[in-house]
Amino acid sequence: MRRIFAQVRKELTQIVRDRLALSLALILPIMQLMLMGNAISLSVEDLPVAVQDLDDSPSSHLFIDAFRQSITFHVIPFSTKISPDEAFIRNEARAVLIIPNHFGRDIARGTNSPVQMMIDGSDSNTARLIAGFSAQVANSWNTTNGAAARVQPVKAAIRFWYNPGRSSKKFYGPGIFVLALSLFPPLLATLATAKEGEQKTILQVYVSSISAHEFILGKIFTFMIVAFCECLLLLTILFTYFGLSFAGDPTPFIVATILYAFCTSSFGTMIGAAIPNQAAAMQAVALGGFLLVFMLSGLIFPIQNIPESIRWLSNFIWGRYYIDIVRDALLQGGGWPAVWWKVGIIAIIGSIFYTLAWRNMRRMQLKS
Amino acid sequence: MTASATEAAVSAIHIEDLWKRYGKVEAVRGISLDVRPGEIFGLIGPDGAGKTSTFQVLAGVMEATSGTASIFGKPARDARSETGYLTQVFSLYPDLTVLENIRYMGDLRRVPPDEITRRGQRYLRMFDMDRFEDRLAGRLSGGMKQKLALACALVPEPRVLLLDEPTTGVDPVSRREFWDTLAHLAAGGLTILLATPYLDEAERCHRVALIHQGLIQNTGTPAELRASLNSKRMELHTSNLSGAEEIINTLAGPDQEIVDVQRFGDRLDLIVRHPDAAEVILRDTLIPAGLTIDDIRIDEPTLENTFVATLRNLGQEVHSEPFPGRHGHAELKGQVAIGATNLRKEFGAFTAVKDVSLDIKYGEIYGLLGANGAGKTTTIKMLCGLLEPTFGKMQLAGKSGGLRSGSVRQRIGYMSQKFSLYNDMSIKENLEFFAGVYGVPEEEREEKMRWVLSFSGLEGKQDQLTGSLPQGWKQRVAFGAAIQHEPSILFLDEPTSGVDPLARRAFWTMINRLADAGTAILVTTHYLEEAEQCNRLGFMVAGELVTEGSPTAIKSAQGGHLLEFVVDQPQRAMEMLKTDEERWRVSLFGDRLHVITDDEAAAAIRATTSRIELAGMKVITAREGRFSLEDVFISVVEKARQQGKFVSED
Repeated sequence: MRRIFAQVRKELTQIVRDRLALSLALILPIMQLMLMGNAISLSVEDLPVAVQDLDDSPSSHLFIDAFRQSITFHVIPFSTKISPDEAFIRNEARAVLIIPNHFGRDIARGTNSPVQMMIDGSDSNTARLIAGFSAQVANSWNTTNGAAARVQPVKAAIRFWYNPGRSSKKFYGPGIFVLALSLFPPLLATLATAKEGEQKTILQVYVSSISAHEFILGKIFTFMIVAFCECLLLLTILFTYFGLSFAGDPTPFIVATILYAFCTSSFGTMIGAAIPNQAAAMQAVALGGFLLVFMLSGLIFPIQNIPESIRWLSNFIWGRYYIDIVRDALLQGGGWPAVWWKVGIIAIIGSIFYTLAWRNMRRMQLKS
Repeated sequence: MTASATEAAVSAIHIEDLWKRYGKVEAVRGISLDVRPGEIFGLIGPDGAGKTSTFQVLAGVMEATSGTASIFGKPARDARSETGYLTQVFSLYPDLTVLENIRYMGDLRRVPPDEITRRGQRYLRMFDMDRFEDRLAGRLSGGMKQKLALACALVPEPRVLLLDEPTTGVDPVSRREFWDTLAHLAAGGLTILLATPYLDEAERCHRVALIHQGLIQNTGTPAELRASLNSKRMELHTSNLSGAEEIINTLAGPDQEIVDVQRFGDRLDLIVRHPDAAEVILRDTLIPAGLTIDDIRIDEPTLENTFVATLRNLGQEVHSEPFPGRHGHAELKGQVAIGATNLRKEFGAFTAVKDVSLDIKYGEIYGLLGANGAGKTTTIKMLCGLLEPTFGKMQLAGKSGGLRSGSVRQRIGYMSQKFSLYNDMSIKENLEFFAGVYGVPEEEREEKMRWVLSFSGLEGKQDQLTGSLPQGWKQRVAFGAAIQHEPSILFLDEPTSGVDPLARRAFWTMINRLADAGTAILVTTHYLEEAEQCNRLGFMVAGELVTEGSPTAIKSAQGGHLLEFVVDQPQRAMEMLKTDEERWRVSLFGDRLHVITDDEAAAAIRATTSRIELAGMKVITAREGRFSLEDVFISVVEKARQQGKFVSED
């Protein structure tokens, strides 16, 4: 125990001495949270829609006003003399709404009057959103204006749960929090471990009779402490600037965070023990900690969107389980019944990393 | 009990038939060795001889392929609590302070916290570095890093110290202090096994073993090894060194009266069987050839002589092709190549170099020596035009301005131990790159490359990655690369550190040949033994050039005498004398005590003998010895310090 403590004290001293490590540990996660929390947004607003009104009647004006009132669209009057696809080529609009010249007459008669919506499909996600929203606008216009005389059709009243304002900040905040905890503690752990091999200080460690468990645990505990400091800092920002709070029982979150810190620190130590070269070890952690967690754990991109051929990979990504627990704690509030098995999986993955790190170091000798 | 078991029982370190293989490479091929408690045992050998592997097995950080390695009867790995291990690169944490390093190492070894503090402070005081407790280890000078590493290793109070080339890159003054400390510790009962490529250090061991290609070739006390040659060393001073060397080379051979000849800065060293017979031969051959014999002195052979002879018998000599010199500079001989008048360099309030004036002529080998922080590096940077002096005039290759111009740079060659070659390129690619950079004519590149490969003993290996070569071999390639364009001025900054004695001889033969062809050469080194190869030397202390002259002139200008005593309790005698005299005047070389005195020799011998005997010890022999260049260097530095010239490390 004393030697683990000695190891932790030494590592912490080194981190405090090393400005770069310290800023990696504390400042970068905050910057990441603030920047990405504000910059990433997949909701759409103010999409430019060009309107060719061939009818130019009071009815068509009312219909266009319905689009104008939507926050999703930004209406641009478009000359009827120009071919509508010009709007796409000139990059003036993402969609063109064409109202035929018999629109007002048809409405007055109470017959169907098709309008045309041309959508730029080069960005399929946005195109799908435009299609959906424009159908909604048309529907609500139908119900309020054209079909007043007829039987009121069933009205779908949509309400968003968990994130009622559909604020992307609330959705992405937890994701970026998880990303920061997945990246910086293992990065520091790997640098600290690889450095011992690179600078040959590991020889002094080998010469003493410290066991592999004591050595590795010393490293891991240090970077767990770093992870907790980061966690507290980031939570403070999430609770203030991002306006989040615990939605229910916080104990699954606390237990999972301890296990997750253990898991990622073990991951970093494992890589650092296997690759005694700081630059290479850092690359490996950046790949594991950043790319895999960023891409494959549903932080930003829903897991359902990952191509099926590699979707199974996400089952092995530790960040995937932790993000669910964090979202549950901060948004849904499902508590232990909802997430207990995910906490368990994090513990299992963490012990696998620990075992691999230990296997690599267990002889505490140079490899011949 | 078998004989070897009895041996093992009284040995501090016992190695029997030790093998270590890395894949196909056999690093250690059946070493057997016993080190007695309290002994300083030297393992001497070139790079790649298997020293480091042996140490790693003894330290318990690597498994042997087969054989036994035990420490006080226990297998090395289980005896880790009894051993302290200093690696080539001091494994200190540069971002921890001196105390924190000691603390961590002590904690790892489970030394009680208050003991760590107590012992740590004791060793820091002993090493005179208690002022630096809170300094980061990375900010210490080379000598202090080494002492800190030693303190860290000593805090757990080991019974055996394993020191793997602990003095590489450490200046002579710090090395002398380090060795005094080792002698002190050994006298206290500590067993020390030490590896070094430098044979002047081996002289300070109780016993040494020559190790080469994974095998021990020879074991004994330094005196025994020297005696095993059955020869004498003859120092020959003559007016024309290269001419005399050429003639003697034709006479010398393993079966001849003259066994070997080696050229130094102002003399030739001959290994001869019978001095009288050899002298007759010399007179009969040199004088008819119009050469003079100015002086002949007979002395004991050095350990280096023994080492070279042993390796020669094993057929390890480097036979390189002659250098394909195309552009001699003989017409320049005698002109000033590097001239400096009152050079001064200030960094803020700190004056790194004070009024250095020197002239180095074409065809001359000049050695610049100094302790760490003496201003050597700054001086060299100014001399080769990399750094603008604050005051003073510089002249380089006949120019006094525009020293960085292409035409001046084309005439300069530079090789440094720190910057040498690109590790991730093959040897061939490196040589081609440097040939291109230095503008070696296209038609000469082929033969130059062939020569570098033959000089380095790497024929047929040109496609090997440079990074995979041991340091000593890299140095040879780097040296070859630096002289491909036949510069008329050559700067060599510690060119031979980590190079084994045979290869070092090949280096110096080449350096001499370049000088004969008219090249001006400036060399720095921490090894005074090597400095004897220079025609002229300059000693720097605290930014000033305090002494200048040929090795012999410097030695004879040294006032005072060197007294050598063999005493029954050398350590006690040393400690007693050190309290009476200035510390630097007394040091221990194995079992011999050296005392430097300013008094008349015979009187000083009498006085010292009676002092030792008054303290109840016995003087076995006492005689006047000859100063080594290192003795001179250290007394020059110490005397300059007493006049207030020193660079504070604070």
